[in-house]
Parts: sequence; structure tokens; C-alpha cells
Amino acid sequence: MLRLENIKYSKNSNDIIKGISMKFEEEKVYGIVGNNGVGKSTIGYIIMGLSDYTVNDGKIFLDDNDITDLSITERAKKGIALLWQEPARFEGITVKNYLTLNKKMNIKEIEEALNLVNLDPDKYLNRLVDKKLSGGERKKVELASCILLKPKYLIMDEPDSGIDIMSLDMIVGVMDYLKNKGTTLIVITHRKEIARKCEYSYLICAGKVFLEGESNKIVEYYEKTCDTCGHINYAEEA
Amino acid sequence: MDIVKGYEEEFNQLVDIYEKNTEDKSLRNPSVATIIVSGNKVVGLNSVKGMYINSKVRNDGLVMIDVEIEDNTVIPIPVHLCTGFLEKTGEQILKFNYNIGSNVRVKFKSHCILTKVEKLHHYMESEMYIGKNSHVVYEDEHFHDENGGVFVETITKMKVDENAYFASKFYETKTRVGRINVVMDIELKDNAKVNLESKIYGQKDDIIDIKEVLRLNGENSSGIATSTVFATDSTKAHVINEAYGNAPYARGHIECNEIVKGSNVSVSTIPVLKVNNEKAELTHEASVGRIKQDQLETLMSKGLTEDEAAEFIVNGLLS
Repeated sequence: MLRLENIKYSKNSNDIIKGISMKFEEEKVYGIVGNNGVGKSTIGYIIMGLSDYTVNDGKIFLDDNDITDLSITERAKKGIALLWQEPARFEGITVKNYLTLNKKMNIKEIEEALNLVNLDPDKYLNRLVDKKLSGGERKKVELASCILLKPKYLIMDEPDSGIDIMSLDMIVGVMDYLKNKGTTLIVITHRKEIARKCEYSYLICAGKVFLEGESNKIVEYYEKTCDTCGHINYAEEA
Repeated sequence: MDIVKGYEEEFNQLVDIYEKNTEDKSLRNPSVATIIVSGNKVVGLNSVKGMYINSKVRNDGLVMIDVEIEDNTVIPIPVHLCTGFLEKTGEQILKFNYNIGSNVRVKFKSHCILTKVEKLHHYMESEMYIGKNSHVVYEDEHFHDENGGVFVETITKMKVDENAYFASKFYETKTRVGRINVVMDIELKDNAKVNLESKIYGQKDDIIDIKEVLRLNGENSSGIATSTVFATDSTKAHVINEAYGNAPYARGHIECNEIVKGSNVSVSTIPVLKVNNEKAELTHEASVGRIKQDQLETLMSKGLTEDEAAEFIVNGLLS
């Protein structure tokens, strides 16, 4: 189990995350929902351990082991991965090199991952992961990369952003595929079609868990209430 | 292949070093056009149909090589230009003149094999004319000694005529640089297109100077000049990219990326854009700094260490 205990994080004198606690049990699909700027992505970056997201207080536990001070690499080696909202571009690196990280890998497995994200391996394996790929293509390559990592916990930061609306079914299909393979999904989203695929969700507002529970109920509450609630959120501007 | 009598041993030594560094066996292939220079001697020459090579060595040691390619010639296999130096110290001065006709299609693969020297000044001056509608690619790869004793100066002036295309790749990424000064000055006529790319990996106290100039003199001409330098340790690197938009609808883009690793590195870049015609359009991009944090962290989130991630990124940039 992955567990956040009373996490606090501030930046530029703004308290972004104000004492959040969450639990992510194995092989389940969790949603982190809320409006823009409430701190959803920040929670994902804190779990992954990105350099600008060192917590001010609180602990992160993986199977009861404290991982709060571990590096990104150490967390990745323990099975935590991140689907980036806007994945970085790399010059001179082919899709194949990026997916394998220059390690030996079964080509059939790579092709299967690309097919799962609706990219034709014949067309994409030798393309470069640089700015010539569209945002949607780059995001799909990142999704294929996450599939190949076979993580225990995958943080999916806005998995549908930058991807055409016709590909929503593909994302949902990949979520099902990963769940069936035993990956716990932590899905950061404000899209109800994706949030409804989650089993349990946390509604974030103003850096706190405002509500948690069965996803459909959380989504229903979010749709009815959150656009007009008037809470002040800092994460986006920080 | 015509190996010049008396120079068989030097020819074989150079070809052996080349093959070891590149795994390319084509230098001994009789159907491949080649020019092989060792020190101040031409030790091997091979031409193909439509291509004429003349070489002359002056009393002062200057090696002059004229390459002429007839109109409408298509050379399907790359032409190899191999310059090497097998003594420990000295100076190598080369002057190439290329006269490439119209409707020609050719690719040159140039290699400088300077792995055995302790102290060498290698100076190469080239002039190239590319005729109308021709398509010319020039790839230049250098292999230097690991003690930094090589000083390479390569000065190229070119004219690319109407509708012609020229692409150049200059790579010094596999061995120590020593000191290098690359100057490329290109004039483009109507509808001509040029793509210049240079990639250099500086280590220890290497000194790198690059100057690339695009003179977009022809209507609808277009050029891109991209320089990538990975500077480590105490490397000093200075890059100047210039583009002049002198004709209607001329388009130029210059780009310099210098990635640094090491507290004693000193790098700089100067882009120069000058438009002399209101319908010309020039752009530039430049970046100097460490490897981007989002790139590093993306790879670290897949389990690579910071050093492994940096190596992966740099290998891509310099590939």
C-alpha cells in the first residue's frame, strides 16, 4: 500500500498542500479530482519525488516503509511511475530507444504497447521523440513507456490532456489493461468520463482533501458544486 | 583503387584505423570513389564515371586537390575523403576545390584520422560550387588523439546555385577535440536550400570555435544552421551563427544549443540576424545551460540514475 500521511507543501510563501492524507491499496484505481489549481498535480509530483516538490511536513509510506526522503530514481525502482501531463521532448532519441532506454527488450512487447495506445509500430518505432511529434503522439508514446515499465503504482497526470477526444476510449482501455496486470492507478483528472472509471476518489480543494469516497458519488458532487464554491486555490499560480 | 606506389603501408595504416573506428569497409572497394591523404601526400585515389580528381603537392607541402563532377552525374555510393596524419608532430595543409555541375547527386563522407599524433596543426581550406538543381550531402567526422594535441582549422566557402540543395553534418563526438575552429560561409541563390548541422563534444581543456554564415541572396532561398555543443570539464566553446536575408522570401533559421557539465566550463553563443529585404524572414533559437531538469526527471522516473539520464540525453543530442 502507498500512503500519504499529513503531507504539507508550500512554495513562494503559499501553502499549496495543507495536510493531506491518502491511501492507495494495491490493484485498485484511484481518482484525484478537482478544479485547475487545487494541487492535484502537485500531489502526483510529491509522490514521485520531483526536485521542486520536497514536502515541508508529513510522510510517504510504501508498504509501511518511509520513502519520503528517497530520490526519484529510488522511488521508480520501488515500482512508482509517472505519466507526465506534458512529457519532455528528446532530440536524437527514437521512440524505440526511448521505450527501451537502450536496454534489451522483446520487440513484440514494445509493439504490443504501441498498439495499445493506437500507434502503428511500423510508423513510430524509428520516429524521434522530439518536437516533430505532436502533443498527442508524444503523450501516447509516454503512455506506452509507462505500460512497458510495469509499475506497481502509476500516477497518471491528466492522461487525456493533449489527446484528441476520439482517444478517450483508448485511455480507458489502457487503464483497464494496467489494472488487470496488477498496477494500482492514481489518476489525476477533471474529466468525469475518466474519473468514473476510478473505484475510489479524493476531491481536492484549496490544498486539502475536501471529500473522499466511491468515485461516482464524488464526481456527482464535483459536477454540481465545485465550479461555484468560491474556495481560493494557489497551486496553479505557484 | 589506385594506391600510390611507395605509400602502400601508409594507405593500409589509415584504412585500418578508419575501419576500426567506423566498421565501414568501403575504402578498399574499387567501385567507391576515394581520396586518401596521409600527411602531405596523396596515397590513394579512385574515381568513378563523371567525376575527375586532380591532386598536386607543392614544394612547401601544401596538398591541392581539385574535384570536378560533370553535369547530370549521379554517384550512388558515397565519395570518401580521408585525411590522416601518421607522424607524431607536424602540420598538414590542404586546399580542396570542388566544382559540382548541374543536376548532380552526390554524397561525400569525409573523415579526419588524427589519432596517432602528439601535436598537429591540421588546416583545410575548401571552396565548393554546387550547380543548378544539384543535391549534395557532405558528412565530416573527426577522430583525434586523446591527449588534446590536435588543432583543426577548417574553412569552407560555398556557393549553392539555383534550386540546388546542400546538407552538411560536422561531427566531433567520439574522441577528444583538442582545439577546433570551424568556419562555414555559404551563399545561396534563388530557391537554393541549405541545412548545416554541427555537433561537438568538448572534454578536459578543449577549445571549440564554430562560425556558420548563411547568405540568403536568392529569392525564396532557405537555410538552417544548427550547432550543438556538449561542453564538459574546462572546455571553452564559442559559437557564432549568422544569417543574412538579402532577397524576397528568403528564410533562415539559426540554432545553437550548448549544454554544460562542469564548474570550469566557459561557453558562449552569438546569433547574428540581418534582414536587407522586407520580405525576408529570419529566426533564431539559442540555449546555454545544464541539461533540462524536466528531461532528467522524466528519465529518472523510469528508474535511471541522474548520471545515466544525462548520458542518455547527451548521446541523443550528439547522435
